[in-house]
Amino acid sequence: MCKELYRKLKETYPEKIYEGHVENGNELYLDVNPDKILEISTNVNIVLGFPLVSMFASDERNLSNKFAIYYVFAYREKSSLLILKTTIDGKEPTIKSISNTVHAAASYEREIKDLFGIIPVGHPDSRELVFHNNWPDGIYPLRKDYPSNYRPEFVKREQNFKKIKGEGVYEIPVGPVHAGIIEPGHFRFSVAGEPIINLEAQLYFVHKGIEKMCEGESIERCLYVSERISGDETYSNSLVYCQAVEKIANIKIPERAEFTRVIFAELERLTSHLGDLGGICVDVAYLFAASQFKMMRIWAYQIADLLCGMRFLRSVNKLGGVRKDFIAGKELNLVKLLNRMKSELEDTVNIIKSNSMFTDRVENTGILQSNIALDLNAVGPAGRASGMCHDVRKSHPYGAYKQLQFKMPRHSYGDVNCRMNVKIEECFESIDLILQAIHLMPNGKILEPVHSVEPYKFAFGMTESPRGENIHWVMTGENDTIFRYKIRTPSFCNWPALCHAVQGNIVPDFPLINKSFNLSYAGNDL
Amino acid sequence: MFKVVKKMIQYPRLTVDYPKKPFDSSLFLSIPEIDSEKCTNCGECLTQCPSNAIVMDKASNNIRINYNECIFCALCEDICPTGSARMSNKFELAESSLKEGINKIFGRSLHIREVDAGSCNGCDYEINALNNPLNDVERLGIHFVASPRHADMLLVTGCGTRNMQNALIKTYNAVPDPKIVVAVGACACSGGIFKDCYAANKGIGSIIPVDVYIPGCPPRPQAILYGIMKALDRVK
Repeated sequence: MCKELYRKLKETYPEKIYEGHVENGNELYLDVNPDKILEISTNVNIVLGFPLVSMFASDERNLSNKFAIYYVFAYREKSSLLILKTTIDGKEPTIKSISNTVHAAASYEREIKDLFGIIPVGHPDSRELVFHNNWPDGIYPLRKDYPSNYRPEFVKREQNFKKIKGEGVYEIPVGPVHAGIIEPGHFRFSVAGEPIINLEAQLYFVHKGIEKMCEGESIERCLYVSERISGDETYSNSLVYCQAVEKIANIKIPERAEFTRVIFAELERLTSHLGDLGGICVDVAYLFAASQFKMMRIWAYQIADLLCGMRFLRSVNKLGGVRKDFIAGKELNLVKLLNRMKSELEDTVNIIKSNSMFTDRVENTGILQSNIALDLNAVGPAGRASGMCHDVRKSHPYGAYKQLQFKMPRHSYGDVNCRMNVKIEECFESIDLILQAIHLMPNGKILEPVHSVEPYKFAFGMTESPRGENIHWVMTGENDTIFRYKIRTPSFCNWPALCHAVQGNIVPDFPLINKSFNLSYAGNDL
Repeated sequence: MFKVVKKMIQYPRLTVDYPKKPFDSSLFLSIPEIDSEKCTNCGECLTQCPSNAIVMDKASNNIRINYNECIFCALCEDICPTGSARMSNKFELAESSLKEGINKIFGRSLHIREVDAGSCNGCDYEINALNNPLNDVERLGIHFVASPRHADMLLVTGCGTRNMQNALIKTYNAVPDPKIVVAVGACACSGGIFKDCYAANKGIGSIIPVDVYIPGCPPRPQAILYGIMKALDRVK
């Protein structure tokens, strides 16, 4: 499949594409002339219709004396990835910005600029993204010559926010420390009266430097780091990391481990969605329903405790399988608990759906238009509520999902109600998937240990986390270490979409819209 | 309406009576313990611990686990050749440096402001869980408030990132005296697994003074509740 695509692209751009190779079965890497990157990526994105799903730089000056930038496009119909790789010189590196035509690239290019010092020429908004006004100029932490534990002095610079001018327009600054128990982020609302004209979200308050820290660390240790990228996506993140390393090591993990992984991944989705549904009910002050969902979430955590003793499903995955046989002997109990959960969820959904005051708040609130969702590559429940119909479990099936049946919820109006409905339907699908997995699970080994990996090999891992498409790229270094680990969680794609969805809504509805997206700050900031 | 009333009758009370009555922790995967009689000091766990929480105690020449840094990953149990490292289910691990008699100052009412200074959000979920029907901390006179100016206690999670440093100091200064600062989770206590990151600190102790440490990654809601009660000297 990849070969056909390669031939086609090579015919269109005979001079500009130097060479191409297929890795890990479905990843087509093309070396592209940096001067033509704008033209080719625009063509791939708009004419072929492949969305930009990730974009990152890598300091390969030790290997080839150049910086490399990878543009990752997804060919979802054929379960493949198309990666355009371009290399640029080490001194004063610049690259043509593709953001004006491929809109999803805007935040990636700003991130690369802050972390690598590669200037995107022609970028429509090239302000600082990662570092707030306290980081010294000319220091780029993800370059290889930057020592990973060096903490530069604080400097003070002016912070620029987008100014909306007009009669009666004023700003409401919120955060970083919020009223609720949530993560830090600064929001600038420009409002006239009550409706929001523009929202600017300043994130990266919890930027720690995870990607840099992983470089040079052993593949084993990075598994524990990947579990701590984002609290309630623990399992999905560790799974995606394991997938990538297992691809590099060329290991086929035992089937029982594949099914165990499905059970845990779906349990995590169920827990996360129940929390979101409870949060939506809290934000419209519907406390009875909120308590119902909180109670079900407690049950979900009790299932997690029963299976592995960790509420956030940490220390379950291991490179090459799972740590223990967590499911053996607990099947009957698990089925009983899930059936109880299912009937309670049905009852609660019936109650909230028949409450017209509740429906009134969630309908027509925070509409994310489908063309914006498409341009920004909105993923997960937020994308599926706005007419995007993709799910990594369907488009790039992994693990045991190939053998399991499930439906993908599809809505197209894009308001809070649609996002809520997607989540409700996914809860039922998750319960069904776990029940199917328990039923179909074969006996046998649960671990095929990964002992060592070849240096300078790379692979993508892809999973559908509770928030959507999760893509990590791992490149190994010498002695079983990591050379570069690029983490792209779904929240990174959906934050810009949120800023569009709130426009025209009133400020008091912002918490509700925010909760219906339920984005992770830590997963975005890294 | 009938359906709502039916549910209320079906689930009258979920709240457990912790800390008055002990909490069933038999399933928990918590801090590892090292059996010093079986341990041969081979140092396998010392080199592989992902957060460098295991250290060689020079005085007694025994291997010791630093509670504040441990992330409860169970790797030491898996790799220990002699089987002396075992995961326990203890969760009441909080350490307080406050003097006795603190309960007289705050009485039976406490207002808490939570600050996330760079966590992965795991600890924040667990703090949120204190308000769920199972734990319901308001029964103990503990309330979460929206502003630091209304608070008696700061619950801080996360390793103290560069971009949050100023906000954390400002929040601390906004809390009226007398105040208590509680570090929740391995990151806040010591930096945890992130202590060597370029934009992270080695725990929030290097930014503001900390009175109580609650280890865990993340600590369970009951462990956090125990820490808060310990700070107030309301549990032994």
